[in-house]
Amino acid sequence: MSSRVRALERIVEVALTAGVAASGLLLVAGLLLGSTTLLWWGVLLLIVTPVVRVVVVTVGLVLDHDWLFAGVSFFVLGVLLSSVYVSGRL
Amino acid sequence: MIAIPTFILIISGATTGLIGALLGLGGGVFLVPLLTLALGVPIRTAIAASLISVIATASASSTINLERGLVNMRLGMTLEVATSLGGLAGGLIAAALTQRQLFLTFGATLALMGVVMALRSGRRNVIADVSVEPGRLGGRLQEGDKAYVYRIRRLPVALTASLVAGAISGLLGLGGGIIKVPVLNAFCGIPIRVAGATSAFMIGVTGAASAFLYFGRGDVAMHLTAAVAVGALPGSLLGARLSQRVEARSLKIIMAVVLLVVGLRMALETL
Repeated sequence: MSSRVRALERIVEVALTAGVAASGLLLVAGLLLGSTTLLWWGVLLLIVTPVVRVVVVTVGLVLDHDWLFAGVSFFVLGVLLSSVYVSGRL
Repeated sequence: MIAIPTFILIISGATTGLIGALLGLGGGVFLVPLLTLALGVPIRTAIAASLISVIATASASSTINLERGLVNMRLGMTLEVATSLGGLAGGLIAAALTQRQLFLTFGATLALMGVVMALRSGRRNVIADVSVEPGRLGGRLQEGDKAYVYRIRRLPVALTASLVAGAISGLLGLGGGIIKVPVLNAFCGIPIRVAGATSAFMIGVTGAASAFLYFGRGDVAMHLTAAVAVGALPGSLLGARLSQRVEARSLKIIMAVVLLVVGLRMALETL
């Protein structure tokens, strides 16, 4: 495996860890304090974490000039954003 | 719906997250039956809670799988095209189905995958000759002190399975790993551990594609969902760490048995 792929995997790992840790903290705090607002933000952050992961991978691939997989990643990002758009109209 | 104590929900999330991450799944396949059959949660609420929990499990276990080099990111991204489209479609269709139809689809899907897994549990996908070129979507795998190569076969089958997995995910609150892992392993040449890790990597995206829809419709019961997800996070981290210690063939057999039992149980609910 090339060191560039390994570096991108490491960045993705950090992004996922940060998202999981932050949403976990919000959810625990929300449950302990009985705060629906904190729970709402915790759940939303959890759902957004994979989207952030796709953004990180896309940027990494573009910087790496890997246009084929960057295109694939852009497409996935487009589907996720259309889901956000549709959810706002339900 | 009766009020369920928070600690029961946290334990439910932890248990299903642990087993899910152990098998390379999101855990929704166990969580939905547990919430509906054992705890009496309405299926639509259970599906929404499961989707969020599945994202938690997949994201947490992916941090460990990435560290171990088990995730094939290029293959995952390619298949994500199909799973995210399926997830969006499934999330939209789910609103039109009845509770009975959801139960029946769920049960039949699981039982079918259990049979496939049991029939093909003896196959090995790895190539011991490490000089073989893995191709753009294949990879290399280190198991103990042995190195292996694997190549993707039948990519259209993998893409079709991912599309179906995405739709099932949106419909039933699963990550879709229950379809992807058996198909990638049994038909497409991917070793079970890589199939599980790559599937878990994709599951976050598949789950998110439909979770936004459930969130937007107001189907997410905040307290229940949060408690289950809080349990799923540490459970899945432990499951991902334990998975390395279990033999590949044992993983396949455990998965086949679990699929058959849970699938039949869910299908019988509709009678």
